[in-house]
Amino acid sequence: MEKYKNLWERWADNTRRFPDKDAIVHWKAGEEPFRWSFKNLFDTANKFSVLLQKQGIKRDQVCAIIIRHNPMFFPLYLGIAGLGAIPAVLAYPNPRLHPDKFKSGVEGMSQRSGLDWIFTERDLEPIISPLVTKEGSTIKGLHFPLEWDREFTLSREDSALLDSIRGSIVETDPVLLQHSSGTTGLQKPVLLSQRAVSDHVDNYAESINLTKEDKIVSWLPLYHDMGLIAAYHVPLAYGITSIQVDPFEWVLAPSLQFEALNAEKATICWLPNFAYNFMADRIEEDEMEDISLKSLRLVINCSEPVRNESHKKFVAAFQKYGFNPLALSASYAMAETTFAATQTTPGEPIFTLEVDRESLAQGKVVPPVPGKASRVCVSSGKVIKGCVVRIVDETGKELPENGVGEIIIQSVSMFDGYRNYPEKTAEVLKDGWYYSGDYGFKLNGELFVIGRKKDIIIVAGKNIYPEDVEDAVGAVEGILPGRVIAFGEEDPELGTEEISVVAETPYEDETEKKQLIQRVRMKGTSVDMTITNVYLVPPRWLIKSSAGKPSRKANKERIAEMKDLNKQ
Amino acid sequence: MISERLKSTILKQLELEDYDIQDDTKANTVPGWDSLSHANVILAIEKEYNIRLKHIEVLKCKNIGDLQVLVDSKLS
Repeated sequence: MEKYKNLWERWADNTRRFPDKDAIVHWKAGEEPFRWSFKNLFDTANKFSVLLQKQGIKRDQVCAIIIRHNPMFFPLYLGIAGLGAIPAVLAYPNPRLHPDKFKSGVEGMSQRSGLDWIFTERDLEPIISPLVTKEGSTIKGLHFPLEWDREFTLSREDSALLDSIRGSIVETDPVLLQHSSGTTGLQKPVLLSQRAVSDHVDNYAESINLTKEDKIVSWLPLYHDMGLIAAYHVPLAYGITSIQVDPFEWVLAPSLQFEALNAEKATICWLPNFAYNFMADRIEEDEMEDISLKSLRLVINCSEPVRNESHKKFVAAFQKYGFNPLALSASYAMAETTFAATQTTPGEPIFTLEVDRESLAQGKVVPPVPGKASRVCVSSGKVIKGCVVRIVDETGKELPENGVGEIIIQSVSMFDGYRNYPEKTAEVLKDGWYYSGDYGFKLNGELFVIGRKKDIIIVAGKNIYPEDVEDAVGAVEGILPGRVIAFGEEDPELGTEEISVVAETPYEDETEKKQLIQRVRMKGTSVDMTITNVYLVPPRWLIKSSAGKPSRKANKERIAEMKDLNKQ
Repeated sequence: MISERLKSTILKQLELEDYDIQDDTKANTVPGWDSLSHANVILAIEKEYNIRLKHIEVLKCKNIGDLQVLVDSKLS
């Protein structure tokens, strides 16, 4: 394995080794894809570095990029990194998002992350520009790089300056800032070093048996670690092709990813769990005409607890189009360790384990008990090279195999702390261990992730995982699949929590809704859970996190606000 | 050219009295045609013509002229 001083050196090496190979295939519905060869991509990145330098962008300054799916995003991002500045990708506003909400989200991020510059599109100027002039703003200015003239040749002086800057970037310098998942504006800014990302590329590539023939296909947004690290940084540093589909287009027509995959013979993709259900539900048979999924050797599930039912549904929908069930794979990943900490073995079936659900909630992994509810836990694989994973109890003591507790991680690709947020860093980073806040257990070297520690509902001393409630309610007729969240609400009289669910339904008729609430409660009873509060809401009501999943915290707060309003 | 039938289906679904829809009119410039109402507009067209439009086919339409061509191709 070659050692590089910084990522730029590594990218430049790929440019020399594979000048004409596709680095990025930019996919857009109904258009010829735009192809960046490694050479063209880096030539353009150099031009952006020069243009950025002339605009006064300096080393270590944080440069936020808010640009919708555009081929120029890629060289711009590299051009920023090539100046020793720090690119930070922020979400382009969803058309449904109110401009004020978007503005307050960017403002929150800018205050927390200390954004220096924003690179965006002219359309967003009226919304973002007031943030620059606002008192106390860290933002020095807005730029519209898609309008910049790139028709020039680098002068000898330009090249010398860039060489000198790049020659001075060392492996401990920051290379990017990514935001951990969460509600926009409250996300934590994760700073990663050159070495963290480069080492992660090598270690993760080894865990998925990556070869130079592999091709990544992704619709994942690049403001999320799964999209940015797995589907952009890994292929770029490894010297392979990444096919990038527009996330907004994917939501409207998820078959677009398969169209791109089929045309380019892609081999690997990453998906969050909800996408398995979404694709299986939304893609119609007639959209799969002439599409073969045979080239896919890995579909890696990460970013949320892996659900066995989702995998089954995906296989049932797509095996007839050449999808190999052994391509199902899983990983446990987070922004704070750059990306992955564990990975299942490519080409082998994922290890699943059926356990008694009640015992699991009490922290014990025991076989299912006849007549009682069980849960199928899906492995997220073995620990990858460069990482150590332990399960600990409340006191931080390591638990033996089968013990359920908090997952803590050590990694050579650990983040350098949350930027401008020492108190939060101290909360999660202790003695070199990252306390993930996730619950899980290990068995035979495999990690099983059960859920988020802070989301656990405690009803009269009994732990309930919201995932279990959501899975049960999601199966009730009249509830939109995947559009349910569960959380605990304090019952001051009883002195404990009660289970509440918020679920989207297309029903509008009050009688139908009453019957549906009844069915939801009965479903809860059938799996030994008393669901006290059922809030039925219309489609698209639930607030989603930056990862695209309905957010438990944000929706719980929304319900609380509504209840407060009703009391007034 | 946009047929009266397609135009009136769209306008009815969006509850618009009238709006000038030409070949190069983009969906997001028609009042009320946003990502929320999009699925209902497409559904209304499918019902009106008794045809099925694939998500991906609709996505590839850059303007309403393309949508008219798509609808015509289904009818032929």
